[in-house]
Amino acid sequence: MWTASLFDRNAVLGATLAMASAVVSAPTLAETMPVPKGEVILTMSGAIGTTNGDGVLTLDAELFATLPQHSFTTGTIWTEGTATYTGVLLRDLLAAAGATGATVKLTALNDYQIEMPAADALGDGPLLANLSDGQPMPLRDKGPIWLIYPYDTVAGFRTEQTYARSIWQLNRIEVAD
Amino acid sequence: MGFAISLALGAVLVLSWQLRGELRNLQEEPVDSLQWNVTQLELDAVRLEAAMSLAVAQPGAGLTEVRKRFDLFFNRVGTVAQGTMFAQLGLLETVRPLKARMQDFLDRTTPLIDGPDADLRAFLPQIVALVGALRQDMRIMSIQVIDTSAALQDNRRAGLAEILQMIAIASVALIVLLLALLALVLGLNRQAVRRAAEVQRITSRLEATVGTSLDGVVVAGMDGLVIDFNAAAERIFGYSRAEAIGQSLGTLIVPAHHKSAHEAGMARMKATGVKHMVDAGRIRISAVRKTGEEFPVELSIASNEGPEGMIFIAYLRDISDARQAEAALVAARDEAQAAEATKTNFIAVMSHEMRTPLNGVIAALEIIGRTTLDAKQTRFLGLARNSSKQLLRHVNDVLDISRIDAGFLAVAEDRLDLPALLATLVDPLRPTASQKNTQVEVRLLSEFPPLRGDPFRLGQILQNFISNAIKFTDGGTITIEAEVQQITGDQAEIEFRVIDTGIGIDEADQARIFDDFVMVDPSYGRTGEGTGLGLAISRRLARAMGGEVGVESVWGEGSCFWLRLPLKVAGEVAKARLAPVVDVSQPKSAPLANAAPALDVLVVEDNETNRIVLEEMLRHLGHRVTLAVDGSEGVVLARARRFDVILMDLSMPLTDGWTAAILIRTNGASARSRIIAVTAHARPDQMDRFAESGIDSWLTKPLSSLDLATALASDQAIRTPAEVAPQLAGRAAPLLDTNRLEELTKIADPQAFDRLLAQFQARIDSILDSIDAGASTEPMADLAAMYHEAAGAAAVIGAPQLHKRLAGMEAACHGSDRAAILMGQSDLRHIWRETCKALAQRA
Repeated sequence: MWTASLFDRNAVLGATLAMASAVVSAPTLAETMPVPKGEVILTMSGAIGTTNGDGVLTLDAELFATLPQHSFTTGTIWTEGTATYTGVLLRDLLAAAGATGATVKLTALNDYQIEMPAADALGDGPLLANLSDGQPMPLRDKGPIWLIYPYDTVAGFRTEQTYARSIWQLNRIEVAD
Repeated sequence: MGFAISLALGAVLVLSWQLRGELRNLQEEPVDSLQWNVTQLELDAVRLEAAMSLAVAQPGAGLTEVRKRFDLFFNRVGTVAQGTMFAQLGLLETVRPLKARMQDFLDRTTPLIDGPDADLRAFLPQIVALVGALRQDMRIMSIQVIDTSAALQDNRRAGLAEILQMIAIASVALIVLLLALLALVLGLNRQAVRRAAEVQRITSRLEATVGTSLDGVVVAGMDGLVIDFNAAAERIFGYSRAEAIGQSLGTLIVPAHHKSAHEAGMARMKATGVKHMVDAGRIRISAVRKTGEEFPVELSIASNEGPEGMIFIAYLRDISDARQAEAALVAARDEAQAAEATKTNFIAVMSHEMRTPLNGVIAALEIIGRTTLDAKQTRFLGLARNSSKQLLRHVNDVLDISRIDAGFLAVAEDRLDLPALLATLVDPLRPTASQKNTQVEVRLLSEFPPLRGDPFRLGQILQNFISNAIKFTDGGTITIEAEVQQITGDQAEIEFRVIDTGIGIDEADQARIFDDFVMVDPSYGRTGEGTGLGLAISRRLARAMGGEVGVESVWGEGSCFWLRLPLKVAGEVAKARLAPVVDVSQPKSAPLANAAPALDVLVVEDNETNRIVLEEMLRHLGHRVTLAVDGSEGVVLARARRFDVILMDLSMPLTDGWTAAILIRTNGASARSRIIAVTAHARPDQMDRFAESGIDSWLTKPLSSLDLATALASDQAIRTPAEVAPQLAGRAAPLLDTNRLEELTKIADPQAFDRLLAQFQARIDSILDSIDAGASTEPMADLAAMYHEAAGAAAVIGAPQLHKRLAGMEAACHGSDRAAILMGQSDLRHIWRETCKALAQRA
C-alpha cells in the first residue's frame, strides 16, 4: 500500500487514464477475477465488465488487497481522535470492475443505501477503507468496508451530504445507468 | 463623510466575514447526521429485540441473525457514543447517562454473544428485556436531541437572519452614503463649473479693463521682461504689443540716462526684496518712445505674486501735455501775480509820492490865503484849494484801498466813546446838511458798555455813510442810530444805521454800490467828493474789522446804510494809549480851538518844502521856530536848549525820527519836552513804538495849520523822566523772535543753523568786549560801526530786543553821546545774557 496525495493532479490524471485504459483495455485486465477463497466482504453487480460469479463480482479481503491501495489519516464525527484508514479508492474499484454506469448504488449490511452519480464516485475523495490503523474493521466497528472521505484535510467533505454518503458496513455495490 | 463611508464599508466586510463563518459552520454541522443516527439507534435496538424475540420463539433456529443484529447494534452504539456530534451540539451532558447504560449493556451481553449458542440462548429472554428497557431511554434521548437541535437550528437561523439583516442595513447605509458622496461630488462639480465661469468672467472683465484703459498698462516679470502691453501703452510708446512682449523694460522704455539706475534698482530688488519705486504711489519720471523721444510720465507700480514669481504692473500716463499746461499756468499765474503786485506797488508808490507835493501845494495855498487878496484871486484860490483837497482825497482813497488790500491795515483797540465819536463825526457836517434843509439826528438806542475798537476806522465808515446821506437827501431827515445787538462774553455786536429820507437807491444798484468805482448816478456829477471808492473802502474797512456793511433802500423813499461790528467790551480802563490828535483826511469847517501861547518849537524835517511850510505855519500861529535838517542836528539842538514842542518827522535818512526822539529823551535840555511825530501814515500798529521812543502824539501829513494849532494847544501832559524811563525800557520786545528762528531752521539744515548761532554768539561777545574796552576812547564812528554790525547780526538771528538796544546804542554813537553809551553798556550786557539763555533753552 502506498500513500499518495489524493489531490495531486497528476495522480488524478493518472487515475483517470488508468481507468480509461482499464475501460478500454478491459479485455486485457482479467475479465474475470479469481473467485474469492475467504469470506466475501464486497459484492459488485450491475453494469460492470469484470465478474467472477454469475454477473457479479465478489471480493474477499485478499482480492481486495490486490487492488491499488491508498490510505489517509483523518478524524470523523463518529470517531474519537484520528485514525489511518487504508483501502481502495472507489474509482479504482470501479475501474477494476469495468463499471460503465452513471449511478453507483452502495448498500450496507443493515440495508442502509446511498446513491451517488458516477462523477462523484470517480472523484478524489471516496476511499473504500477496510483497514483502520492497519487492522481489518470488524462488523461491530464500521466493517467490513467503510466509504470514508478525508474530512480533516478537505473542508468540502465536511457536509451533510458527504456524511450521509460515508456508508459503513458496506457490502454491496451496484452500478446502474 | 469619508469616515462614515469607511465605517459602513467596514461593517459590511466584518459582517460578511461573520456570515461566511456562520455559513460554514452551518454547512459542516452534522446535525442531521446526529438525528439519523439517534433514530437509527432505536431502530437497530428494535430489530435486535425482534431478532432475539424470534430466536426465543423458535428454539431450533440459528442465532446468526441475532448475532448479526447484535453486531449492527454494537456498531451503532459505538458510532453514536464515540462521535463528536453530541459535543458539537452541546448535548454531551444530556446523553452521558444513556451512553453509560448502553455501554453497560454491551459489556454484559457481548461475552454472551461471543460465547456458545447454548449460553446465549439461555440468556436471550433477559437480554430482550434489557434491550426493551434501553429502547425507552433511547426514545427519550432522541426526542431530546430533536428538540435541542431544533432549538439550535432556530437560533442559528435567527443569528443568520440577524447577520443578514445587519449586512442589509450596512449595505443600504453604504449605498446611501455613496449616493450622498455622489451628490456631494456633483455639487462640488457644479460649484467648480460655476467658479470656472466666474473666473472666466473676471478674466474677461480684467482684459477689457486693461485693454480699454486710457492709461498705459505694462506688466513685467522679475527678470525685467515685458509680459503684457496694452493698447494705450502701444499708443504712448509706439511699440506694438507683439514687439514689446518679451523685451527688456530697460531697452524698451527707459531713457539712456536712467538705464543704469533702473538696472541697479531691479538688481537690488531681486537681491534684497526692498522696493523703492514699486508700491510707492505715484512717481514722475521720464520715459522714452520708440522714436527715441524722451517725455515725462506719471507712473505707479504695483507688485503681485504670480504663480511663476513676482510680477510688476505699471500704470503710466503721458504727462507731457499736462506738464506743459501746468508750466504755462504757473507762468501765467506768476505773471499775473507779478503784474498785480507791480500795479499795486505802482499805485501805492505813486500815491505816496503824490502826497508829498500835494502837502506842499495845500499848505502853500493856505499861506497864500492868509495874504491879502483881491476878489478874483480869492475866487481862484478857492477853486485851487478845493481842487487840491479833492485831489488829496482821491489820493488818500486809493492809498487806503491799496493798503487795505495789501493787508497793511492794522486795526487798533482803543477805547471807544461812542457818543463822543458820533458827535465828533456829525457836528462838522451839520452846516452842510442844514444848507440842504436836512435835519441830522443822533440816537443811541441801547446802553453801551465801555467798548474798544478802532475809532478812526469806525469814524471813517460812518463819515462816509453820513456824507452820502447828506449828498442824496434834499429837505429830509438823516437819522444816525447805534444799537447793541447782543453781547456774548466779551464780544459785543453793535449795529450802526444811517437812515435818510433821500432819493433812495434802485434795487438793481443796491448790490453794485459797494463795488469799486461805482457811483450810482454819474449824472449827479462830482458834487464835492466822488471817486466811487467811498463805499468800497467802507466795506473793506468793515470786513477788516470783522464786520459787514449793507444797504436797505426803496427808490424814492430813502435808504438805510447799516454797519455791523463786533467790538470788544472793555474790561479795564485802557492804558494811556495815544489817540490821533485829529483826523486830517477830511476837510473840517469847525472853528479854531483856543490859540496856544507862544511856544519854542523845534522842527526836525529833512524835506525842504515841508520844513519851510511848517515854519511858515508855526510862525503864523505865533510860535518861535527853530529848524533842524536831519535827526542828528535835531538831537544836538534839542539837547542844547529846551524846546516846548518838538515836531519830529519820522522818515528821515540816517537818524530817523524814532532814533532822534529816543536820543532826545535820553538826556539834554529837551528831555522832557513834548515830541510830536509828523508822519505820512497813521499806522495804529506803531503805537507801541511811539511810546517806546518817547513820542507823545503824532500828526499825519499833509498838515493844516488847524491841525497844528489844535495839536499845540491841546493839553498833553509833559512827560516826567520817571514815565519816560520805563517807556524807554520799552514794552519789552521779545528776547527771541520765534517766528524768525523757525524760518531760519526751515531754510538752513540744523547743523548749519547751529553753526550760525555759534558764530553769531561769538561775534557779539567779541564786539561787546571790544566796546567795553574802548568805550571811553574809541572814536564814535568806530563804535557806531561795531554797534551797527552787532545790531545787524541780532536782527538776522531774530533777537528783537537785543537788536533794538544795539540800534539805540548805534544812534547814540551817531549822536556822539558817549555818556549814553557808557550808561547803556551794562543794560546791553544784561539783555545779551538773557538772549543767550533764551537761545540755549530753545536749542
